Amino acid sequence: MDFIYIIKRLFYGVLLMLGVVVLNFLLIRLAPGDPAVVIAGEMGGATEAMLESIREEYGLNKPVLTQLGIYVANVARFDLGQSFFFNQPVTTLIGHRIGPTILLVLTAQILAIVLGVVMGVVSARKPNGVTSAIVSVFATIGYAVPVFWTGIMLIILFASVLPVFPVEGMTSVRLRDAGLLVRTLDVLHHLVLPAFTLAIIYLAQYSRLSRASMLEVLGSDYIRTARAKGASERSVLFKHALRNAALPILTVAGLQFGNLISGALLVETVFNWPGMGRLAFDSILRRDYPTTMGVLFFASFMVVIANILTDLSYKLADPRLRGR
Amino acid sequence: MSRLLEIDDLRVTFRTRYGEVTALDSVSLHVDAGETLGIVGESGCGKSITALSVMGLIPQPPGRIAGGAIRLQGEDIVGASPARLQALRGAEVAMIFQEPMTSLNPVFTIGSQIAEAIMLHQNVGADQAFKDAIALLDRVGIPSPDRRAHDYPHQLSGGMRQRVMIAMAVSCRPKVLIADEPTTALDVTVQAQIFDLLNEIQRDFGAAIVLITHDMGAISEMADRVAVMYAGRVIEEASADDVLDFPQHPYARGLIDCIPALGRPDHRLAEIPGVVPPLHLLGAGCAFAQRCAHRNDRCDREKPSLVNHGRHPVACHGAEESRL
Amino acid sequence: MDSQPTQPQIAAQSPAREAWIMFRRNVPAVIGVILLVLIVGATLYGSLFYQGDAFSIVWAPHEPPGVTPEFPLGTDYLGRDIVAGLLTGGGPTLAVGLAAAAITMVIGVSFGALAGFYGGWVDNLLMRITEFFQVLPALLFAMVLVTLFSPSLFTIAMAIGVVSWPQTARLTRAEFMKIRELEYVTAARAIGARNRRIIWTVILPNAAPPLIVSATLTIGVAILFEAGLSFLGLGDPNVMSWGLMIGANREYILDAWWPVTFPGLAIFFTVFAVSLIGDGLNDAFNPKLRER
Repeated sequence: MDFIYIIKRLFYGVLLMLGVVVLNFLLIRLAPGDPAVVIAGEMGGATEAMLESIREEYGLNKPVLTQLGIYVANVARFDLGQSFFFNQPVTTLIGHRIGPTILLVLTAQILAIVLGVVMGVVSARKPNGVTSAIVSVFATIGYAVPVFWTGIMLIILFASVLPVFPVEGMTSVRLRDAGLLVRTLDVLHHLVLPAFTLAIIYLAQYSRLSRASMLEVLGSDYIRTARAKGASERSVLFKHALRNAALPILTVAGLQFGNLISGALLVETVFNWPGMGRLAFDSILRRDYPTTMGVLFFASFMVVIANILTDLSYKLADPRLRGR
Repeated sequence: MSRLLEIDDLRVTFRTRYGEVTALDSVSLHVDAGETLGIVGESGCGKSITALSVMGLIPQPPGRIAGGAIRLQGEDIVGASPARLQALRGAEVAMIFQEPMTSLNPVFTIGSQIAEAIMLHQNVGADQAFKDAIALLDRVGIPSPDRRAHDYPHQLSGGMRQRVMIAMAVSCRPKVLIADEPTTALDVTVQAQIFDLLNEIQRDFGAAIVLITHDMGAISEMADRVAVMYAGRVIEEASADDVLDFPQHPYARGLIDCIPALGRPDHRLAEIPGVVPPLHLLGAGCAFAQRCAHRNDRCDREKPSLVNHGRHPVACHGAEESRL
Repeated sequence: MDSQPTQPQIAAQSPAREAWIMFRRNVPAVIGVILLVLIVGATLYGSLFYQGDAFSIVWAPHEPPGVTPEFPLGTDYLGRDIVAGLLTGGGPTLAVGLAAAAITMVIGVSFGALAGFYGGWVDNLLMRITEFFQVLPALLFAMVLVTLFSPSLFTIAMAIGVVSWPQTARLTRAEFMKIRELEYVTAARAIGARNRRIIWTVILPNAAPPLIVSATLTIGVAILFEAGLSFLGLGDPNVMSWGLMIGANREYILDAWWPVTFPGLAIFFTVFAVSLIGDGLNDAFNPKLRER
């Protein structure tokens, strides 16, 4: 793999993150009112001593550019300030929450891609068949359902009618002292509903996309070549066609990552999943801006990393892009 | 003795928005070992449909083989099981396509694509198949084949790709090799090289070649026997020399007048006025009548059948009445 | 028989008219239109036939649907009428959805058109900005904007527009780059048309079909977005909306399923109708896909 390309890509990622930091800074400055009050998040209830210490820490008495410099330098050291509501450094707060979010988002993404591709391939085989119609209908419905409402409906269903999955949180209190395996299984058990809820929207998109992508690829000349050499229908479908049809799916999967985090925010709120989305929700309701901005920073950071990984895997998957 | 490949009264129809149209109508052709049969005609005349029928690759639906037989070494492959067709494709009858640029799968190396064809029909391991693929690349004139085998299609020129296609097609020593406009997309100098290669391959492997082309020049270089097709029917059939020197059908004459003659700068290139009528608009009469200078009432009323009126079989009322 | 074969009768039709004919024949799309007309009609004129205030407490809390004839869909946790909530809540949801989609299209099309038409450094700069906005998780960014500038229907629509435009920009850019190279654009240049004229009167009308489809689908996304924000309690607190109804009642879902179910269905059917229409338009504009 092209080393210089990776360096360039990483550098570009750093630039994007710098942009996010500047944006965070601007948002606090642009918000109506005294920035110190905004940062304290108490809406007039903060003591003068507290505001003074904030002004000191953020250099709010200094020129704007100096303030920006201080802010950027702090973020570069992963110091995103102090949450006055939680009374903890923002980085520590997020450090505890980022794991569950990544677990949720990745599980949902994998679930959506795998199921979506299977549905897409099945319906592309017989584009006018019954399965294809069902997949199309499902895709349109999945796209139109509000994700938080799906979650609530699933909670109603699984809390009272069919109590096989836990509907809240990530761990069971009664298993706190159990072995590692039991606790892992417990987390996975809790993960089922949130991950499935989040996956549904994207499942709809991926099945649609892979159906279209497969239909296009199946009409191409090299598929005819594969058939002409006597390849089996299964090999034509899953080896020759899917490898090519996967390329646009990969692109969209990368682009979707940001939306997935947005969706996770709602799903975490509905299922009380102890991740960054839940933290963002709590901090926004409490006007705890340092925490909110910290979540925005780390969420964007995850998107940037996901984009870099998508780019690199795209290069691996498509030989035409290698060495460029 | 039964022919190597014999097409007998083949009729293929397609469902279109104008209803069911007949793409091939009572087509009968045959080819023997070591022989090259040329099929000529403008685009839309049914050449490629004929080739795909022999490969069992007519997309069904919308296509349908409505009647007739295709006998490969005496075995009728119309209505053969998909598994049987799969076993025949690539092994007994192979095909080279018109578009070398798009006929190879972009995400696999050329070596592995040839090796795949070998492994599908011969009982060899992956390593041996890849070695055989390299030998085949060498045979079709690819320089430094052991390195080139690891290249992807986009790294090769059009001529090179067509050589790869030929290597893949002959990898299992098929009895019948169908070449559908193998040189149309290539430069003139490369065209000649590909024809030379096909001739050599035929000498080495003793395959029967069915060469599909719209180019009478290619016919004169390659073919032993020629079938001229028009609007889904064979309208003239004879040895290549006979057709080239004494064409009977006005359409065949038109095609031959389109060959530029070397060393005759004053020679005006002729053209056939009009276009092939759309299949759904074919009337009761001769399909060529609209464009024919020698047409009379009978041509509009009655379809001529392929009959020998002296020299060789031709489907033309004018030839029958010797009024051309 | 004539010397010329009779062509199948294809009357000369404008592309828009042909698309309309195709659209009319598309059963799901027509269902979408009917559904949307019903929903919009109910939110606009429902109050003429059904008196009731969405905010006032009119009955005992958690009255199940179908028990009391005055409140066919029951009451919520405070004893507010759910039908009244659905009828008044639809207006803001639809209005914000439409406004946000309009803002999205204006920003997105401007960025994409300039980038795609001029190329070079303009394209580079605008696309970097677009990428930057794609890095920010949309809902989170919108939440921040709405809280910083205090929620009202206007700020919510603005926030949704500001976070949603990058996809439109990319689509527009791709279309412009494709059309820019076509002969009729060269022809327009050759007769001395100015750039601005070429963008507005030559390229944009030809890029319209995919943009119309995208605008339709954007309305659906914006409605979902608005619902999400209201659900989280970031909507305008003085305005009833479907998302707010779900958010307000979510603590009590295990006691009463109906206060959250009906507003959710309302959102679903609205977005479903819009996306059926969007798909119908897409099929109507792309005759090639129809053949499948």
